[in-house]
Amino acid sequence: MDNSDNIIQEFTSGEYKEGFVTDVEQEFVPKGLNEDIIRTISRLKEEPEWLLEFRLDAFRKWQKMEMPRWAHLDLPEIDFQDIIYYAAPKKDKDRPKEIDPKLAETFEKLGIPLKERDVLAGVVAVDAVFDSVSVTTTFRKTLAEKGIIFCSFSEAVKEHPDLVRKYLATVVPSGDNYFAALNSAVFSDGSFCYIPKGVRCPMDLSSYFRINARGTGQFERTLIVADEGSYVSYMEGCTAPMRDEQQLHAAVVEIIVEKDADVKYSTVQNWYPGDAEGKGGILNLVTKRGICKGDGAHLSWTQVETGSAITWKYPSTILKGNNTASEFYSVAVTNNYQQADTGTKMVHIGRNTKSRIVSKGISAGRSQNSYRGLVRMNAGAQNARNYSQCDSLLIGSKCGAHTFPVIRSDNPTAIVEHEATTSKISEDQLFYCNQRGIGPEEAVGLIVNGYAREVLSRLPMEFAVEAQKLLQVSLEGSVG
Amino acid sequence: MTKYVVGAGEKLELTFVVLPGESRDIDVAIDLVGEGAEVSLKGLYLCGGDERVNFRILMHHRAPGCVSRQLFNGIAAGSSRVTFDGRIIVAPDAQKTEAYQENHNIVLTDSAHVETMPQLEIYADDVKCSHGATVGRLDEESLFYMRTRGVPEKDAKVLQMLSFLSPVTPEGDRDRVEKAVLQLV
Repeated sequence: MDNSDNIIQEFTSGEYKEGFVTDVEQEFVPKGLNEDIIRTISRLKEEPEWLLEFRLDAFRKWQKMEMPRWAHLDLPEIDFQDIIYYAAPKKDKDRPKEIDPKLAETFEKLGIPLKERDVLAGVVAVDAVFDSVSVTTTFRKTLAEKGIIFCSFSEAVKEHPDLVRKYLATVVPSGDNYFAALNSAVFSDGSFCYIPKGVRCPMDLSSYFRINARGTGQFERTLIVADEGSYVSYMEGCTAPMRDEQQLHAAVVEIIVEKDADVKYSTVQNWYPGDAEGKGGILNLVTKRGICKGDGAHLSWTQVETGSAITWKYPSTILKGNNTASEFYSVAVTNNYQQADTGTKMVHIGRNTKSRIVSKGISAGRSQNSYRGLVRMNAGAQNARNYSQCDSLLIGSKCGAHTFPVIRSDNPTAIVEHEATTSKISEDQLFYCNQRGIGPEEAVGLIVNGYAREVLSRLPMEFAVEAQKLLQVSLEGSVG
Repeated sequence: MTKYVVGAGEKLELTFVVLPGESRDIDVAIDLVGEGAEVSLKGLYLCGGDERVNFRILMHHRAPGCVSRQLFNGIAAGSSRVTFDGRIIVAPDAQKTEAYQENHNIVLTDSAHVETMPQLEIYADDVKCSHGATVGRLDEESLFYMRTRGVPEKDAKVLQMLSFLSPVTPEGDRDRVEKAVLQLV
């Protein structure tokens, strides 16, 4: 097995290609967190009074809360006074309408098109967020013709305050949990998207989040509203520079799906995971939740989690309307000293609601990877149905894979099924491949891709390509 | 809590039977400490009133090459509340472990409540572990099938429940279990 050990070495030391830093002039607010900082952020963003009140209210709630410790994670102490809560690239006054070429270059390097042009076969509209601000949103005109609003959250507050006010914090209340409260107090930018009644969004919408500045945290807020009978596919991607220090990323995503609307939400999370010794990396502590509000609504989550030193994330759906449906497809990969505690919650309230959970965990190195989920059938959820499948793949003898599902049923007509397996790539499988001339590394790539295929095949085309490459880098050659 | 330690080459078999009218807290921790230890747990529960039945099972694989199998099947009716909290832990050096756990529930009434939490905590890689949990109702199609063949509805339900409980019913308890099932319908 010496040979395979070498291969593990080789692969697990795969480089994080997005680890560079962009040298642009940035403005910061001072370090620390207090009401003055929040007022400053609100002032810099020229926000209305009600939003400032919302922030301050959330901050007061947050001060009374305690950091959640229930996850299967070794969370470091976070010094919230040692974080810069707002960092924005300074705008060049001579060219106020243009994007700083350095920023454009950064996103170009990351493969994110900020110029409106065709990407592969499809067309994608992008909202690019750099530290605390959105630098550009493409295809806004094309989308506006259909009545679709897709812009940065800050712009939405200025241009569509009624919509923002109507939906903000309706799915994730400001006091929902510790990190959601923190986000509600200091959130900087993010994307806002509104699809009007009966409109099918003609292209995929995408947000790209980039952390650049040292010592900052990113607190983006995304709000997606799909009105009656509409459809949208939304994608999110993220990267950060390589640093020794850990950086905090605490986002909130809210999705409102009205009657007969359909939302597909995909994430490829590739924050810097820290180095091979577990130094540095992003603490990814995120609250994502959607509500299938009207009858017949549909929400689908797909996530590929390969980055972050620590991931704490449970994209959830509240199935409120009758005949609503939701799915959660996830691939979570951890390597070296990464820790992930991720999963989903499906809360069935309406009649004939259906949900499906497919989670594939892959742990290598000395990492810990947990699935945590809740399926809840409320008393009124007649004929509700859930099926969950959670598989874990272990690579190397030093890592851990855990499954913590909770199933609650208060309805005799509801049916819930959960199954989970844990195993490693078997020597038989490897031997079979080797025998046919497929080298060990390639064989592992093949097996892992096959293992994750059910989830990867749900991703939009552009993401699927990226995700497969990411899997190769993060974990290939994982011979047990 | 009842604690069992199972050593090398030893075998432990336990069966729990909870019949209607009994509220029980069953809290068991099992340590598999020697190579080749084998454990088999079975549980059956039938609740028809306002019973509270709580299972807490901890299966700790501390040594390599051990096998554990768990199967818990139960029916909740009336306004009973059942919780099943089952955890399998496989220690870092417990390679070649096989650990399986299943918990199946049938809910018959609106006010019965079932909560199941099967958990796997695995720190070794060369293992075969799985768990499964279901919460559901009697299968309409099987009932229909039996009724088209002249089996009265009540008998069809009893038959289905008995077959559901059959894998966890100890040989000597068949009559008692049958009586209890008849009571529930």
